Amino acid sequence: MTVSPRLRRLSGQAVLGLVCLISLLPVWMVLKTAVTLPADIFATADKLWPASITFGNFLRVLGLPSEVAPPANAGAAISFGLAPPTTVIYTALLVSGQLFFSSLAAYAFARLRFPGRDAIFYSFIAATMIPSIVLFIPNFILIRQLGLLNTFAGMVAPNILMLPFAVFFLRQFFLTTPKELEEAARLDGLNWFRIYWHVALPLQRGPMATLAILLSIQAWNDFFWPFLTGQDESVQVMAVALAQYQSQTGQGQPDWTGLMAAVMLSIIPVLILLVFFGRRIVESLQTSGMK
Amino acid sequence: MSGQIDAPPRRRAGRMLPRMTALRRREALTGYLFILPAGIGLLAFFVLPTLRAAQISLTHWNLMRPAKWAGFENYARLWADAQFWDSMWITLCYVLYNIPVQTALGLLIAVLADRLAKSVALRAVIIAPYLISNVVAGLVWLLMLDPLIGMTNSFLGLLGLAPQGFLSSPDQSLISVAAISIWRHAGFTALLFYAGLQAIPKDLYEAARLDGASEAAMFRLITLPLLRPVLVFVLVTSIVGSFQVFDVIAVTTQGGPAGSTRAVLWYIYENAFQFSRMGYASAMSMVLFAILVLVTLAQMRLLRGDRSDLG
Amino acid sequence: MKALIPALISGTLLSAAAHAEVAVDYWMWDSQQAPVYRKCADLFEAEHPGVKIAITQTGWNQYWTALQTAFLSGDAPDVFVNHATRLPEFAANGLLANLAPRIDAAGYDLGGFHPGLVETWSKEGAVYGLPKDWATVALAYDAGKLAAAGLSPEDLADLDWSPEDGGSFQQAIARMTVDAAGTRGNEPGFDGSKVATYGLVSNPFSPHGETEWSYLAGSTGWRFIDAPWAESYNFDDPRLAATLAWFRDLARGHHYMPTAEQTGKLGGETLMFSGKGAMSVIGSWQAGLYAQSMPSVRFAPIPAGPEGRSSMFNGLADSVWSGSGNPDEAWAWTAFLGSDACQSVVAESGIVFPAREALTEDALRAFEAKGIDMSAFVAVATPETTFPFPVTDYGNEISAIVRDALDRLMLGQGDADEILAGADAEIDRLF
Repeated sequence: MTVSPRLRRLSGQAVLGLVCLISLLPVWMVLKTAVTLPADIFATADKLWPASITFGNFLRVLGLPSEVAPPANAGAAISFGLAPPTTVIYTALLVSGQLFFSSLAAYAFARLRFPGRDAIFYSFIAATMIPSIVLFIPNFILIRQLGLLNTFAGMVAPNILMLPFAVFFLRQFFLTTPKELEEAARLDGLNWFRIYWHVALPLQRGPMATLAILLSIQAWNDFFWPFLTGQDESVQVMAVALAQYQSQTGQGQPDWTGLMAAVMLSIIPVLILLVFFGRRIVESLQTSGMK
Repeated sequence: MSGQIDAPPRRRAGRMLPRMTALRRREALTGYLFILPAGIGLLAFFVLPTLRAAQISLTHWNLMRPAKWAGFENYARLWADAQFWDSMWITLCYVLYNIPVQTALGLLIAVLADRLAKSVALRAVIIAPYLISNVVAGLVWLLMLDPLIGMTNSFLGLLGLAPQGFLSSPDQSLISVAAISIWRHAGFTALLFYAGLQAIPKDLYEAARLDGASEAAMFRLITLPLLRPVLVFVLVTSIVGSFQVFDVIAVTTQGGPAGSTRAVLWYIYENAFQFSRMGYASAMSMVLFAILVLVTLAQMRLLRGDRSDLG
Repeated sequence: MKALIPALISGTLLSAAAHAEVAVDYWMWDSQQAPVYRKCADLFEAEHPGVKIAITQTGWNQYWTALQTAFLSGDAPDVFVNHATRLPEFAANGLLANLAPRIDAAGYDLGGFHPGLVETWSKEGAVYGLPKDWATVALAYDAGKLAAAGLSPEDLADLDWSPEDGGSFQQAIARMTVDAAGTRGNEPGFDGSKVATYGLVSNPFSPHGETEWSYLAGSTGWRFIDAPWAESYNFDDPRLAATLAWFRDLARGHHYMPTAEQTGKLGGETLMFSGKGAMSVIGSWQAGLYAQSMPSVRFAPIPAGPEGRSSMFNGLADSVWSGSGNPDEAWAWTAFLGSDACQSVVAESGIVFPAREALTEDALRAFEAKGIDMSAFVAVATPETTFPFPVTDYGNEISAIVRDALDRLMLGQGDADEILAGADAEIDRLF
């Protein structure tokens, strides 16, 4: 029954290695397809390596001269000058709003006492149980009546004030944190907002950073709502711009190589963010007093 | 260390409003103020449209002409609609394929990452499937799982195994869809668990180790109980999400082959936007909503019931 | 900096100054053709100062949901590309402008359109769209694989077929099927469990079978419906059951075609382009992609069945939204889209065939210039060798029923007659 710690460590690392491999394989397929000549995609679909490597697909989705002729079903070049900044504004606006308002509400649900608190909290969770299929039409009509179509305000409105997911997540973390510090601050006469902002929130740097990463990735990939409310090129986000590379006709192929090249280009900013934020998590964990 | 999961202490806040001290009243006021922005969002973009959907569910509405009052006809129809209950059954099977594996895998990855590797790169790799949108992930898997030209079958061939139909086979399609979801969300779940693990004081483990506790015992006696708030959160949100599986199906199978992946949300979508029966789709949404509320309440009760906190 | 934030939030940084121009919104889903119609729009704008055409191209998957939401909120495009599946409900619910009065008032020439196209888009004297293009199907084959099978292009020019023995079509399919050991489908010792090249490949069977099965079902004399806007379908016809049973056996019995389980969602194109398929029936709109992705592809006419050749003849149209705020400009643009001026631009692009019959030759030449011989598609574009897309109410519900039935049939989950009779009864209950 005794397994040497070394062996256990090794088997654990093997499992992690396998998980990484499986996680990365489809991502590798995206990259592989992006550097494949349009004519070779299907013949080499079962191979790990591309038959030959070309960067022409990247060039053509960028609208630059390319030696690779776009396939007949190719989408037009994406305006990479406009879509990435637009997506950054959209993501930053949405995620910072979500983090602030959701953590504020989560703190209230975890720490403050007021009549109806738990009922209100459960109604937040219940909000995730309504299929969005029946929500988006009334929401779209509301946004239109407010005159907010094709504005950032309209695009972020439904989710910027709260995300049940974020409220629930942060509440659980506030609940598990000891309250001694907050109680001390209270005796020092700090008001609730200052306690939340200066005492409670800094203790949650780790969960907040995790949430920031996950919400940013989500916002970066948001498609349907920005598609409905932000068609205009001045507010068009990457995911909406990318959609033209998907199926163009009822039963047609997507422009595989163009789509995958565009996808690779579109996740680069997220990768940068991830590495940056990832470091911040590690740092904040080291400084937040939790060993 | 408070082991509270579901609610902080209540102290019968409800009916004491008139006799509240000034301090207590201030606290309640602050509470309302703190949840005000979120509450506005909830009211405007969830509660009101839900009430609207409830109203629509009592009408026949094709999205093109004014709605006609239908009373409870849509609900009566739903009760008798074998396809609706079939889609609920398919959804339930999907949840059972999806949730246990995804949760266990997420927990395993989180614990291993916590113990063995703290590198940023590892977390970036684990979350990589989530970087790619649902639609693109679905397309890539369509290519990889293609029965004749896909990589998966050529790999099975190398192992001497017979090629499989995956998404094209009615017996394997739902499992394949679940597998794609697990691939996409296991890392996401792992990161949530990982955040929870970070919040457990490390000195607990050190003390236990001094007492000679094994890894398994520490997992059972320290990690699991203290992780429970996050576990409750992960289970509730992922089960609710799993019941509403849609995107992967929309890209890969569109409910087929032979209706084998017609999960309830796909059926609702078909009715709303392809068959132009918004009233009926809304009624189904209301029933799904009610079912999910019950499932969640049961879960909350169940997970609280076997609580064993460290105090 | 403070002033920038509200501007960013309202997205008005780039908002255009107010101008007196009328903007006509035009929606379409085909990205391939978007540049073609931009050219038309430029011509139109030059002729109509003060009118601007705003083209929005949206992938097929979101097109209809977005359109329905737009109808509902009153933001629908003035003019949009329409598909016959959606025509009945849009027309019945008053979303489409009846163009007949405008056509009469302008003396607009409908006679120049390919016969059969205007009829699809008309009901009881009303016209709900002007035809923009048409499509037929033909047999695409790999010239290299054909030669390897010892066949010549002439052998494929005159194929015949019957549901009983499959005729020379089945023989050609058998010869072009090769197993892993190099044995052909018509030779003894052929191993159907290890097929390297399938003689015939197709998409998963779709409800209208435009490229998968309707060309053979139609060649038996079978039709989806007896007349436009019919209230019952002919899915219980034994000729259809025999045709589909032949397909099922070709796959499950002979292994000359991948079975339903072996056919991925990505369909016939992927199998042809990867060399796993030797022949596939395709639509004329796919020809450009085939020619580009598969230099060895050639086209032959579809096989002739007991009642001769029979291709679905389907075309898109431009419809005007009844709620358009600029009905005059919307009509002017629609009329221009159907005119020789714009249709020649379409013809010269060599992507699809324009709806104006006289321009077919121009389109053929444009394809020819790209190295594509499209004569096999044009050969069947006659009233005798085509049947129309079935336009009836409940189009999407019928599609869902038929899709499930075809899946079960091709998976071998029951008797063809029974499955189809069941689907037919279900459809009858809708009306």
